[in-house]
Amino acid sequence: MQLSIKHIVPIPLKEKTTISNSDVWNKECTFSSGEFVKIKASSGSGKTTLVHILYKLRNDFSGSVLYNQEDMRQLTAEQIAQARQQHISIVFQDLRLFPQLTIRENIELKRVLQKPLYESNMIDTMANRLGIGHILQQKAMLCSYGEQQRAAIIRALIQPFEILLLDEPFSHLDQANSNNAATLIEEECAKRNAGFILTDLDDDDRFNYTRKLNL
Amino acid sequence: MNSILKKLIKTAAGRTKFIFAVLGLSIAMLLILAAVQLQENYNSLLNSKTNQDSIANFLVINKQLTNKTYGNTFISGEDIAHIRQQPFTEDVGILKPSLFKASVESFSNRFPFSTDISFESVPSSFIDVQTKDWNWDEHSNYIPMIAPNMFLDFYNFQFSFSQNLPQLTQENVKMIVFKVKIETPNGYALFNGRIVGFSDRITSLLVPETFMNWANKQYGGNINTQPSRIVIKTKDPGNPQLVQFLKDNGYATDADKTRFSKYRQIVSTVVNISWITGAVLLVFALLIFTLFIQLTIASCKNEIQQLIILGASPYQLKKFLVKQFFPQNILIILISLIVLSGIQYWLYGFLLAQHIYINIFISYKTIIVALLVLLILWFTNFYTIRKYIQS
Repeated sequence: MQLSIKHIVPIPLKEKTTISNSDVWNKECTFSSGEFVKIKASSGSGKTTLVHILYKLRNDFSGSVLYNQEDMRQLTAEQIAQARQQHISIVFQDLRLFPQLTIRENIELKRVLQKPLYESNMIDTMANRLGIGHILQQKAMLCSYGEQQRAAIIRALIQPFEILLLDEPFSHLDQANSNNAATLIEEECAKRNAGFILTDLDDDDRFNYTRKLNL
Repeated sequence: MNSILKKLIKTAAGRTKFIFAVLGLSIAMLLILAAVQLQENYNSLLNSKTNQDSIANFLVINKQLTNKTYGNTFISGEDIAHIRQQPFTEDVGILKPSLFKASVESFSNRFPFSTDISFESVPSSFIDVQTKDWNWDEHSNYIPMIAPNMFLDFYNFQFSFSQNLPQLTQENVKMIVFKVKIETPNGYALFNGRIVGFSDRITSLLVPETFMNWANKQYGGNINTQPSRIVIKTKDPGNPQLVQFLKDNGYATDADKTRFSKYRQIVSTVVNISWITGAVLLVFALLIFTLFIQLTIASCKNEIQQLIILGASPYQLKKFLVKQFFPQNILIILISLIVLSGIQYWLYGFLLAQHIYINIFISYKTIIVALLVLLILWFTNFYTIRKYIQS
């Protein structure tokens, strides 16, 4: 699948002068499955805004986002749900786990929202790899932010996808845990022949990025 | 997935509110179904054979005698056809009066009795006295007669005292043979007569039609033979339509028998009010339940929003929410029907003791209404959920 942006400028950022130097804002750009794209930007330059626009969480921008050549604004609620279940997965910067559910339930919910890609024991396998196997039965609100972040990564990887949106996915992880998570993400992308768009503050060499863009 | 969603939605909505919503709906449901059942019981009381009053179903009708109708109280063939056409008329019988002078005397000196009398006859199907003696031909030894109970009552409780005569039971009277004298141009024709039964249905001294036809022809001369009284058989003498018809066409009948129509109108009004009350309550209960669904959805708005963000489709959520709320409705209706069946069973026993018969089971119409209400509930639930998920 392809995700294209055409001259998108978020309305809140319209007045910012930095937009003219961006590789993304007000430019044309296409992301295909299989590509590992890194978008680097300093704080406040609109990384999360971009991720939310690509995931169709906000509409306050000019320009257009094309989802397989179709204007995302024209998609129905059912089509959007279908895209989120089958083609685009996401790790939010603010994680968005249900605090009253356990870590396992949070992940399981995403596994069974569509026809499951993996058996439920895959949750244990992934959780053990990222070192959160022991807190699966714990309510999300009782877990540390780092643990929640790893749970959010697993939740994104448990479903089918072609493009994975990662909004500062390692912000609360140490080096070792970040590398662990990155390896898992890379493996899961490879299995699906999928790609990702990752936003972060700094440079890194955790992945073999096919493209690096400045926001 | 459902168990996880349940956990999410359940924690957001209040349990007490839910119980109140279910309680409100249950009460309203019970009332509306009870109203239907009440109507059914009422109809069955009015129309079922077991509850029919054998006296009241036969009405003797004549034209009201006023200055206007004086001397012209005959009921024409046209009038009879008109009465026959009415929906409440099941059968019409013509009461034939005797067209000759007659008197009845006793044979015994111990029981001296003599009175002028006139007879009436009516087709046998209108007579409620079952006896093999009810027939007559020219070779018969006596004329069978049916007397109204009130004649005997009048004799036993008034006449006998004033005349110092013995009181008589029905059985005594049936054993007495009377002398029936019919005046002819050449003197008197004498017959034997015997009372073979008593009835409250028609307040005349009845003789078999065969005798009446023969005697009228023999002794009646050329007097007009148009009837002035008829008897109609009707399912429901309390039918307000019948009472109105009689009034509009200037007929008179035994007011006691049609008096029930007034009570019936009152009961009908009460039954209708119970319908309206039930319906209004149902509307309120639907409102409560709808509000409850809205409240539930509103109180877990964040959860629903996040589910949609994560990729739950509106269809999935609608399906889940309908599944969450609709089964309670089925349960409410089932419980209401069971409670109503219990009440009906109790009522059956209670009324049976008073010789009033209603069906032991609730009516199929009540069940149909229950299913219809269930359909309305399903639409309301579905519509509310759809509206709120989409918004």
